[in-house]
Amino acid sequence: MPENVKISIRQFTVLVMLITIGDSILVLPSIAAFEAKQDVWISGLIGLAVGLLAVYIFSMVGKLYPHLTLVQSIQEIFGKWFGTFVSLMFLFYTFLSVVAHTRETGDFVTSVMMQETPTQAIQILFVCIVIMAVRLGLEVIARTGEIFLPWIIFFFLILVILLSPQAEFEKLQPILENGIKPVLHGSLSCIAFPFMELVVFLMIFPYVNQPQQIRKGFLQGVLLGGIVLIIIITVSILVLGPDHTARSMYPTYSLARRVTVGRFFERVEAMLALMWTLTIFMKVTLYFYIFNLGLAQLLKLKGYRMLTLPVGLLLIVLTPVISPSITYFNKVISKYWPYFDLTYGLLLPLLLLAVYFVRTKFKRSTN
Amino acid sequence: MKRKGLLLCIFIILLIFVTGCWNRRELNDLAIAVGIAIDKSGNQYKVSAQVVEPGEVSGKKGGSVAPVTLYQATGDTILEALRQMTTISPRKIYLAHIRILVLSESLAREGIRDSLDLMSREPETRNDYFIVVAKQATAEDMLKILTNLEKVPSIRLFSTLETSAKQWAPTTTVNLDKLISELVSEGRHPVLTGLNVIGDKKIGESKKNVETVPSPADMQYSGLAVFRKDKLIGWLSDEEGKAYNYIDNNIKSTVGHVNCPDGGKLSLKVIRSNTKVKGSLRDEHPRITIEVQSEANVGEVQCHLDLTKTETIAEVEKLADRKTEEFIEKTIKKVQQEYKIDIFGFGEVIRRSYPKAWKKLKKNWDQTFVNIPVNVKVTHKIPYLGKISNSFLEDMKE
Repeated sequence: MPENVKISIRQFTVLVMLITIGDSILVLPSIAAFEAKQDVWISGLIGLAVGLLAVYIFSMVGKLYPHLTLVQSIQEIFGKWFGTFVSLMFLFYTFLSVVAHTRETGDFVTSVMMQETPTQAIQILFVCIVIMAVRLGLEVIARTGEIFLPWIIFFFLILVILLSPQAEFEKLQPILENGIKPVLHGSLSCIAFPFMELVVFLMIFPYVNQPQQIRKGFLQGVLLGGIVLIIIITVSILVLGPDHTARSMYPTYSLARRVTVGRFFERVEAMLALMWTLTIFMKVTLYFYIFNLGLAQLLKLKGYRMLTLPVGLLLIVLTPVISPSITYFNKVISKYWPYFDLTYGLLLPLLLLAVYFVRTKFKRSTN
Repeated sequence: MKRKGLLLCIFIILLIFVTGCWNRRELNDLAIAVGIAIDKSGNQYKVSAQVVEPGEVSGKKGGSVAPVTLYQATGDTILEALRQMTTISPRKIYLAHIRILVLSESLAREGIRDSLDLMSREPETRNDYFIVVAKQATAEDMLKILTNLEKVPSIRLFSTLETSAKQWAPTTTVNLDKLISELVSEGRHPVLTGLNVIGDKKIGESKKNVETVPSPADMQYSGLAVFRKDKLIGWLSDEEGKAYNYIDNNIKSTVGHVNCPDGGKLSLKVIRSNTKVKGSLRDEHPRITIEVQSEANVGEVQCHLDLTKTETIAEVEKLADRKTEEFIEKTIKKVQQEYKIDIFGFGEVIRRSYPKAWKKLKKNWDQTFVNIPVNVKVTHKIPYLGKISNSFLEDMKE
């Protein structure tokens, strides 16, 4: 299927950065601080280090078949039948991610801002825009990212700078109170949520106009996004403290509520919430695009656009189905989702590399 | 053409969703609560909400009716009581603008933990109000007094506490997050400022209270309530409260006096003060060192002192050091002997510096705290004397 789009390496880097921040900016501090307490920033650093390594692996996988998307190269490497099965599994993972992130957005708005509004009202609106963006194609999504980026950085800086007077550095002490183990536990979610989920970028490698620079751009984007996340995590601990960070559903929102300058610049959390609404939107949009694109490629359709509306409907229906309550959802997200991410973000690329090398070696020896 | 028609249809459908908030509440549908008081009546909570009368506080008009009104309801949980208020109030109580939360002493003695969950769970509430305890009184009484200078009594209570904590120091401002973090901490017990009514309560509830020059009734902060976990067990006096704030590094500005060698008094304005609490371990026995560095100006001289000499300044500095050290030490002794719980956060200090030793110590930290040696070191600096150098008292011949 000829999908004739090209995005520049700069747009690619911006996309990587925004999707690294994604929904992690909202939920990661709480999930990671639950295990690692005040050492959660160390977990973040470990996460970033492992994340950079993972991205390096992704770019290696991408170089195997630079002109094919992940779904296509899976079939190339694993063969038709098993390849189709693995591709379907991968697409299932992307789709479930879209559902979970849409659910997360709705939960966030109804939990803290508009309590009595039905979540569906928010989700339907959200998904409408996502479908619109996806139908317009990758180039538009990439340009949207470029337009959003300055705003996201602006709001991020406002949040961090205005909260800096409230930071108490003693909240970071004692370092490694309970040894390294909880920190490693906490780093699991720091590795999985922001970085392992970037595996979906393997689907858009062929559309970058300078393939030789992908690795550099990818690493840059991840580094920038990772730094933003580590700063947010650290600020949560410095301002809210480890207990409060772990207890609140959305620590970043609690942070935004703390902003107060001279008794007149306050209650700005709804404005600052725009920041993560934008990053979550980018993440859902890209995932949704990739699911539709991948499905179209798997089914050898002429284009992916006709899939968007039915899949969108499916998405709206599935969001309430995947979990009955926020407790269930949070439990799944914090306990099982990291392993889900690791399966596709680490296991799949490694398996692809291994099978590829074994097959090429086998071929050479038979020749 | 067909595409345009389809787009138009989509836009019309979308219109349904973008008409604004789902359940918007206009300003005139809200009963804006500025103060909440919680009392215990039997097994139930008696909740009082002080609600502003919008017409009275805005604009130049007003004066005929009280600027606030009080709604009260009793329920098994606080939220039930708040909702039950709709049977009296025409509007739903809106909690986003609370300035003060008053808990009664009897409730505090039974335990405050159950009253606090709602305030931290409810999305409407914020973390910008203070929590105080009604000393030897019901909490509802605290929200009934009309006040001068500031029309809305709860806002006045908020400002009074903030100002007195900044300028006078025996009171302390505690918000919900601070209280909760002290409640869950293993190395610290919380304190809250006490509040009571002075004067005639009956007149205080009517408009007469603000019509005369001295108000017949007023509300005054005094003392700090000491909590063992979430149960009130006693009170600290104003001076002890000041010592608490010195240890907690909460002193922004305060005034104190020293006795001159010849018997008169000299008062000092503390401009800034910084406290460092350090923990150390000697053979697994923790000890605490408190270092206070204060900068103070001479405020008032009522004795014969030659302030033009540097030796005199050094002498006054010494006197101030010793006096501050004394009342800080006295307060720590009292808390160690009488209340036997760590309200100063010494446990937290040890936890931060010696996390390994803390694991053993925390099991019976309060017993350890009772005998913990504390070394207090205060250093004053007196850089300025005010507008004049020597007092005119020096030149007055008797």
